[in-house]
Amino acid sequence: MGLIRKIRGVGRVAEPAPEASVRPLPAAAGLGGSVQVRHVDAGSCNGCEIEIGQAFSPVYDVERHGVRLVASPRHADVLTVTGPVTVNMAGPLRKTYEAMPEPRLVVAVGDCARDCGMFADGYGVLGPVSDVVPVDVQVPGCPPEPAAIASALRGLTGR
Amino acid sequence: MNQTAAALSGAFALAGVGAVAGLLTPARWRSAAVGAATTGVGVTGAVAGIAAVSGTVWQVRLADLLPLAGVSLAVDALAGWFLLLVGGVATVVGVYTVGYAGRVGHGPSARGALALLPLFVAAMLLVPAAGSVSTFLLAWELMAVTSLLLVLAEHRHSPAVRTAGLWYAAMTQAGFVVVLLGLAWLAAAAGGESFAAIRAGTAELSPLVSSGVFLLCLAGFASKAGAVPLHPWLPRAHAEAPSHVSALMSAAMVKLGVYGIVRVAFDLLGGGPRWWWLLLGALGAVSALYGILQAAVATDLKRLLAFSTSENIGLILLGLAAAGLLAGTGQLAVAGVALAAALLHAANHAGFKTLLFCGAGSVLRATGTRDLDQLGGLSRRMPATTALVAVGALGAAALPPGNGFVSEWLLLQALLHQASAGGTVLTIAAPVAVAVVALTAGVGVATYVKALGTGFLARPRSTTAAAAVESPPTMLAGMGLAAAVCAGLAVVPAVAAPALGRIATSLRVESAPLQGSGVDLRLAGIASSISPLWIAVGVVGLTVGFAAVARAVGRARRRAAAWDCGDGPLTARMEYTATSFVEPLQRVFDNVLAPEQDVDVTHPAESAYLVRAVAYRRRLPDRVEARLYRPVITAADAVGRAARRLATGSVHRYLAYMLTALVAVLVAGVLR
Repeated sequence: MGLIRKIRGVGRVAEPAPEASVRPLPAAAGLGGSVQVRHVDAGSCNGCEIEIGQAFSPVYDVERHGVRLVASPRHADVLTVTGPVTVNMAGPLRKTYEAMPEPRLVVAVGDCARDCGMFADGYGVLGPVSDVVPVDVQVPGCPPEPAAIASALRGLTGR
Repeated sequence: MNQTAAALSGAFALAGVGAVAGLLTPARWRSAAVGAATTGVGVTGAVAGIAAVSGTVWQVRLADLLPLAGVSLAVDALAGWFLLLVGGVATVVGVYTVGYAGRVGHGPSARGALALLPLFVAAMLLVPAAGSVSTFLLAWELMAVTSLLLVLAEHRHSPAVRTAGLWYAAMTQAGFVVVLLGLAWLAAAAGGESFAAIRAGTAELSPLVSSGVFLLCLAGFASKAGAVPLHPWLPRAHAEAPSHVSALMSAAMVKLGVYGIVRVAFDLLGGGPRWWWLLLGALGAVSALYGILQAAVATDLKRLLAFSTSENIGLILLGLAAAGLLAGTGQLAVAGVALAAALLHAANHAGFKTLLFCGAGSVLRATGTRDLDQLGGLSRRMPATTALVAVGALGAAALPPGNGFVSEWLLLQALLHQASAGGTVLTIAAPVAVAVVALTAGVGVATYVKALGTGFLARPRSTTAAAAVESPPTMLAGMGLAAAVCAGLAVVPAVAAPALGRIATSLRVESAPLQGSGVDLRLAGIASSISPLWIAVGVVGLTVGFAAVARAVGRARRRAAAWDCGDGPLTARMEYTATSFVEPLQRVFDNVLAPEQDVDVTHPAESAYLVRAVAYRRRLPDRVEARLYRPVITAADAVGRAARRLATGSVHRYLAYMLTALVAVLVAGVLR
């Protein structure tokens, strides 16, 4: 009992949290600052994947901002897509998007995902991500820096 | 002539009518006529049972019916319980048979196969009603012969049926011989062949005689009950018999083995030394564990159910052993609870096993296969059957609010609450028995999840399963009746309390082991009670309430296709099969089950590093059978081959044998 009384007597000693530096996207407001991410490589050269991996590494550590990678679209709020959408990956990408519960958001990571980049007009390329699924956030760069990816994801969590 | 007498006479008369109807009616109406008659036999038998367990006993001796011994019937509360059980099962099976046997006129609806059905039920009613050794043996043999012929109903269909019939015939006749020896010895030693005379004479029996009689009768009755290691006929006969016959055999006939043990060991011999009960308990424990393990790894639905019968018989025997052991140490109240648990479990097992075997029959009729690896997806095609089988599976898995739960809970209570005054042996045996019951219940849940999950849910694994059609209304009505009985036993088992009290009194243990007010069930001598009604209301209410709240409060629901990793389409080959579902369990019990596995990898001609096909084969032979029965069969075979030299076909030689035998008899007569 003494411990509980002590806890109650001392109260909260942690410093108050600073004012949030980023405002969450209005569409992501319903996620409550906790964002589960499913990643789909729709035809990328894997450069963007390396940078996304870096964003989740100890250096940038976006998990501390409330972003977590999950293993199934059933668990996900946000879909990150890289690469120009190839003919073979258009179907799986659409299915992945449809498998996600609502509300759901799509982040197109990298120049290829935005406008097919250097692979535009390739024989196996169908088009940019926005041709297949509705895109909410775009991260430019070839590849984008981990910091840019982290800041885009923080824009969804608001932390 | 009281109510019991009238009802029982009516049952036997109806059985005769049913048999004649089976022989005379044309194929179109045959199964309906016989089904109605069988239901009539069942209902009247059940009425006789209810009258008997309510205290209306009946005794009669018909000296002229059979030469020498006559027929003597004596129905008391214990007999009434089993009459009720057999009658109830027959009622359900009668209704079910109308649709199952159909109008084809061969196989299960052949003239002989249908005419024998009411006779089989009548023979099963006669066994508990018998009041003397000779009548009992007559009824026992009638039951054995009629059931054997019913097992062989589809003998043209596959050689497995003939093998099953051979095993069953050999084992049931061997069992009859030992029961005959035991009861004849008992009657001779006790100085009378009626049960009343034996009861009066057992006080003067020497321990050698009573133990000998107990061992002989136990062997015979346990083989009929399907206790391991006397079980090899059971998975064969139950699997190969037509399903309504399987239901009758598994739910009613094997219980009469239990009846025999109770009648002889508790009633006629009036209890015995401690080692009897330890032997019975060991038999029960081995049956329960081995039965449920074999059921868990079985992929044939009916074989699974058959081994589960062995398991439940094991639990019943465990309860009987506990009752005998506890009564021997003077703990009559707890002994009464154990006895009540065993008898109640017999009734519960009869309920859910009838339902499950009928369900297996519906599946077999709809798809033509009993192989769980080939089934699946039946919940869409046969929703009513699936729902009814689910009720049975819940009872068999002994989960609340199923009916098996109540009796297993009672058994555990009796085992846990034995006083430490019982001595070292009991102090060691009771926790071991508790562990056995717990492990059995756990594996049982896995078994029935497998049976229901891989058999009925998910996608169909074969074209026949995909084309299954729902059963006709009579089959569903029969199963619905069984499901209603299961639900009743699960929710208000207290209705059986007065009957169990009367049986317990007649077997000289606590007079009222269970008291119930309809809502709760209180145990004599144990400060513990259970309310199956509230458990059922709670479980069902919580589930329904949670679903309702989730639907009302949650977001609007959206239908989405099953997630197939973006590729698809999902196929039945991606599902768990019955084999793969139990593979981890099989691995755990590798040393017990000793499966024979064979992996064959074939390579293309170009390179041994590439794989063209992988073939996996698994066989799970019954180890007990291979180790215990094969040597006996081989020896008998060798003896038979050797004896063949005596019979060469030469008439002269046979005449010489006859002359030698005659001379030997004459010489023996003169020398005497």
